[in-house]
Amino acid sequence: MLFNIGFLILVTALVLAGFGVVLGFAGGQQRNQRLVQSSFHAVYAVAGLVAIAAVMLWYGLLTDQFQLTYVWNHSERALPSFYKFSALWGGQAGSLLFWTLLLSIYSVIVAAVNRRRHQMLMPYVNAMLLVTSLFFLVLLVFAANPFKQAAFVPADGQGLNPLLQNYWMVIHPVMLYLGYVGLAIPFAFAVGALISKRVGNEWVRTVRRWTLIPWMFLSAGILMGSQWAYMELGWGGYWAWDPVENASFLPWLTGTAFLHSIIIQEQRGVMKVWNVVLIWLTYFLVILGTFTTRSGVLESVHSFALSDVGPLFLGFLILILFGFLWLLFKRLYLLKDEQYIDSYSSREAAFLGNNWLFTSITFATLWGTFFPMFSEILTGERISVAAPFFNKVNGPLFLLLFLLMGIGPLLGWRRTGVQALRQQFTWPLIAGVAMGVVAIFFSTNPWPSVGLAVCAFATATIVQEFVRGVLARRVSNDENVLVAMGSLMRRNGRRYGGYIVHLGMVMIAVAIIGNEFFQQTTNVTLTPGEHVTLGGYDLTYVALETNQEANRTEIGARMIIHDSSGKMVGSILPRRNLYIKTPDMPTSEVGLRMTLLEDVYVVLNGWENGGATATFTVFVNPLTIWMWIGGLVLVLGTLIASWPHPVKRTTNVPAGAAVAAAGD
Amino acid sequence: MPTYAKRLASRENSSVRIRSVPLIRVLLFLILLALFTGATLTQALAQTPTPDTSAISADQVNEVARGLWCPLCSGVRLDACELKACEQMKEMIAIKLAEGANDEEIRAYFLEQYGPQVFGEPPREGFNWLAWILPVIGLLGGGVFVWFGIRRMTSQQAAVIASTPAQASLPSQSDNYSQKLEQELSRYD
Repeated sequence: MLFNIGFLILVTALVLAGFGVVLGFAGGQQRNQRLVQSSFHAVYAVAGLVAIAAVMLWYGLLTDQFQLTYVWNHSERALPSFYKFSALWGGQAGSLLFWTLLLSIYSVIVAAVNRRRHQMLMPYVNAMLLVTSLFFLVLLVFAANPFKQAAFVPADGQGLNPLLQNYWMVIHPVMLYLGYVGLAIPFAFAVGALISKRVGNEWVRTVRRWTLIPWMFLSAGILMGSQWAYMELGWGGYWAWDPVENASFLPWLTGTAFLHSIIIQEQRGVMKVWNVVLIWLTYFLVILGTFTTRSGVLESVHSFALSDVGPLFLGFLILILFGFLWLLFKRLYLLKDEQYIDSYSSREAAFLGNNWLFTSITFATLWGTFFPMFSEILTGERISVAAPFFNKVNGPLFLLLFLLMGIGPLLGWRRTGVQALRQQFTWPLIAGVAMGVVAIFFSTNPWPSVGLAVCAFATATIVQEFVRGVLARRVSNDENVLVAMGSLMRRNGRRYGGYIVHLGMVMIAVAIIGNEFFQQTTNVTLTPGEHVTLGGYDLTYVALETNQEANRTEIGARMIIHDSSGKMVGSILPRRNLYIKTPDMPTSEVGLRMTLLEDVYVVLNGWENGGATATFTVFVNPLTIWMWIGGLVLVLGTLIASWPHPVKRTTNVPAGAAVAAAGD
Repeated sequence: MPTYAKRLASRENSSVRIRSVPLIRVLLFLILLALFTGATLTQALAQTPTPDTSAISADQVNEVARGLWCPLCSGVRLDACELKACEQMKEMIAIKLAEGANDEEIRAYFLEQYGPQVFGEPPREGFNWLAWILPVIGLLGGGVFVWFGIRRMTSQQAAVIASTPAQASLPSQSDNYSQKLEQELSRYD
């Protein structure tokens, strides 16, 4: 009974969302305040209803209501409450409901914050956010009902997928969804700007923060997914260019390009068409990503035909594609550039280069991800496109991108003179070359040396920017170093926060270079007391240890680690978890010792005779921890860049008045 | 990598299989594998006894396996794959190594047996050339577009400057840095 009401609530939300869409568009067109007010109310009401539905499903999960097919499929009595809670996003119907819930929360925040602002844009923004909600509610009501019930009440559930019973797997989807869903907001503003013909800087300035925050969540979500893969899948790596990973990476790429590209529009009044196209592309890729992961279209064309949600997604994607192109075509006459670009050696040109590379990487990744599908449809043969393809195609592009990341900040707006170029590039170039020369001694392969040289160059650029800024503040305001740093970040968080994000990216790049080129590995079978040596570490197998939990047995092999001088540096327990509900699907928990320099990473492959022998794969992964530190730095930088400015901006300098400074 | 997507997908069907590979493909693969291994073994038995693989270490096998991909589960490297079929492929690598085959010969052998799937990238031939060429065309096309776009804009700008010299007031490069910084910071005040 209760859950029948849950379904009815979803149906009501669907009807209200549809009504709200009409209210928003009509209110905006007719400038009818009452209709516009009603569109705000529709946003709140839909959010309230979706929240009630989500709470009901949570209630069903936490109180083991196995008559619900969803609960039966994704939970069990012995599952810890923590995972019962997270099972909401462990399966299809629940995760779609969770998507809708997050979108509703975002929509309410956008509506509440802008209740009295952007009066021309907001009716359309409300309507567009409700269009997305409407689509997901259609999926929930017609194709993936989370409140579907069985005719009888099963005694126990099937259990949550063991791979999801991991701390990172609880938080990773939340972060990813917060990123994904949030990117619907800038798109809604872009559509609002186009329909209301206010295509100037108003929407661009407004969406910067609404893009940065989802972008931060998406970045964190992607990195947490990598962390999960690293800890849980036991192959020594963190990223496999898997279709699902690519699905999250594609909107990240276009979103990052957009964040850079709107800076040129704000500063110089150019790239107006491109910016709306980019944010549309980002939104399109978000829906496409959800579609590909939810419909199984990339697994096989046939599984798509069997999927309930697949055709609906396809229909919505076509609607977004043609609806947007039609709108863009109608408004093209308004999107004229106000200024021109002066020179190739300008920051505008560097930003265009950035967009060119990001778009190229997006295209290559999208193409590689979908190529097996095209190949299957057109030739009948399925081709595997995995890491070797993506590394070969995207590797050099990322190298160029990091090079540009170092060059961009050194160029001034409009034009950079020869003298300024020399002054700006000297130290970063020296740093880059020096690093390259040092690195070449450690590797016969030139690529990691080139990569590290580029990283050093980009880092030196950032450091130089901070040093020059701090020195200038010291001279002009007589501030000490810390105060000067603080005032730079407080007063121009956009720029200096951005540099910190760049620094985080460099750290991640260094970790990738370390892992990709300098990983060492060995595979051994040991008896208790025997040891193996790898990369200066000595690992001794002690014994098997067993631990019984409510829904699983954990079997681990204790190992003691000594360094090359014979000093004991750690004790690890690589494990296998055998879940009662899925005994033939043991999960791996790696044994890990992390340091700033390298990780000792051990996978327990198997054992015989109760631990008389055990087989291990041992990895030494250089610099991996910098990927996670880089992630934290990236989040910190984004927060600084999006932090509200201490003083309300009173003047808007017209585009074109920007100073073209050597170090600007 | 045993990708979680597939594992999740398999979970969606309440199945306990590790990866959701369509059953028919698994069966087909196993039949083919049995035929191939059968044929190879018969041949081997008829000609020479199976070589002793005890001298081949797991590291030697993995060295080769790191360059190969599970033909059943796209995106999983052979050395990390725990499928039975992949275990058999690794045993085959050990046999080949014991026979004295080198990396290239073993790769050629697997290519012949399982097709280009085992390399994890499309072969550079026929229709599959498209996979490689299109990203390059996209990159170059985009590059040309951006290059000429900037050139068009700079020449328009030059024309504007030429016609109205008064507007051509690009700030001098020698301006004081701290002054510029302050100017910029004050724009946000």
